[in-house]
Amino acid sequence: MFISKVMTKNVVTIDKDADISTAQEKLSKHGIRHLPVVNENDLLIGIVTDRDIRSALPSSQSTDKDSIAKIASSKVEEIMTRSPISISPLDTIQDALLLLQKNRFGALPVVDDQGKLIGIISTRDLLREFIEVLGLNDPGTLLCLLVEDKIGQMKKIVDAVSEEKISFGSILVSRYWEEGKRAVFPYLLTQNIGPLKTKLKNMGCSLLDPMDWYRDSHPK
Amino acid sequence: MKKTGFLYDERYLLHDTGPNHPEKPERLKAIYRGIEDAGLLSKLTLFQADPADMKWIETIHSKEYIDRFETSCRSGITVFDYPDNQMCAKTFETAVLAVGGVIKAAQKVISGDLDNVFCAVRPPGHHAEHGSAMGFCYFNNVAIAARYLQIECHINRIAIVDIDVHHGNGTQHAFEEDPEIFYYSIHQHPTFAFPGTGRAFESGNGPGTGATRNYPVLPGYGDNEYHGLIQRDLLPVLEHFSPEIILVSTGFDAHVDDDMSDITLSTQGYSRLMERIVALAELYAGGKVISVLEGGYCLERLPELAANHVKILLNQ
Repeated sequence: MFISKVMTKNVVTIDKDADISTAQEKLSKHGIRHLPVVNENDLLIGIVTDRDIRSALPSSQSTDKDSIAKIASSKVEEIMTRSPISISPLDTIQDALLLLQKNRFGALPVVDDQGKLIGIISTRDLLREFIEVLGLNDPGTLLCLLVEDKIGQMKKIVDAVSEEKISFGSILVSRYWEEGKRAVFPYLLTQNIGPLKTKLKNMGCSLLDPMDWYRDSHPK
Repeated sequence: MKKTGFLYDERYLLHDTGPNHPEKPERLKAIYRGIEDAGLLSKLTLFQADPADMKWIETIHSKEYIDRFETSCRSGITVFDYPDNQMCAKTFETAVLAVGGVIKAAQKVISGDLDNVFCAVRPPGHHAEHGSAMGFCYFNNVAIAARYLQIECHINRIAIVDIDVHHGNGTQHAFEEDPEIFYYSIHQHPTFAFPGTGRAFESGNGPGTGATRNYPVLPGYGDNEYHGLIQRDLLPVLEHFSPEIILVSTGFDAHVDDDMSDITLSTQGYSRLMERIVALAELYAGGKVISVLEGGYCLERLPELAANHVKILLNQ
């Protein structure tokens, strides 16, 4: 899955010569936390975040009006991060997840191979995509299964689900559940889950009681 | 003893969901048999349904959806919107009769002919959305009846208590912004159960903020959890809202023997739950309760659950 599909395309940007109070207004007006700074050719030259602005301004308790006014009228250029880390539209969502986690960023500007800003991808975009991938916007039921850690187990589950004519919303596999076992979580787009559960049990699949897992994670 | 109505209409059996579907006509037969075998029929006021006036259905569902449902149904299509929704050529008419029956029940309670009613309807309703069928539901019977009561009978404070094991997404969405219709749902936690909505943080929008309340119950829990939450939560919430009437979306699928969920309510647990709801109606709503069937698929348990439900309404 490529960044170009998930990124926000209409990016709110700012000029390096704009003053900090203008940047602050833009952030609050659009409910965002990152403003890429571009030049007249749309080339990305920096990024300014709500945190950069908060750090630059004196505390809200400050009464020194002259100093507040002076800082508010200073330029974005003075506080922006220059040559920020960016990502390409042909990079993937996985790249973005790892890069954001590594650098502890909240967003990455997306630039084409000429360095032009064409989008921004934020943790919000990734959350939306994650909800989509899990199928949470579609009505369904989650099954929690425990199977032997050996080849062919997933096929049995998929076959059983298909025989019941049920569609998959998503399927997650945890390899770190229990020695020699894998936990499989099919999210199935149906309310009618009873017959499938019986079938899976008869096939030797154990249905996990999610509450066992909850109880195990808490001190007795 | 209360004047309790029992809406039962053999035409509700005509909605044919095909082989191996859990929402089948035998459910209603089991309910009727349970009430009959318990010797309760003579104590109840039995009545049949009239088809609903489409204008009431349009208060909840879009015209486009209603037309699409009718056309699909008449064209012989047997699956509608989602594979869960199996139907036959009679499904549309049956769904109109289900709504009409519940509206008739509302008229009888408001006029004082009856104190309360149990409506054994099919198809169920609480998953049906403004523009789509979902989870075996086509028209949202309870939501439409609530709008009817609000508009036609000028009832200003209506509480809907949804005890089906699944969240009533359709009902919640219909009234999310309405402060006059309180939606309270107890259901299996949406991470584990259909349809995946009804999280505790969903509490209404705009002017309706606070008039939606969801109480998700984790898998494996049952009687104690339900009893506790009624005392702790439902009771004070309804006392505060002070409804003029209580509509109950009655699903019997939280029973331990129902394979549609992992909630473990016992038959006695169900009785205790309904007794509390009826007691609350007595305190705040002049005893006015309209209970409408939603889910409940265990044919072995439905007779006793329905008989107990009706006994509680009769105050026997």
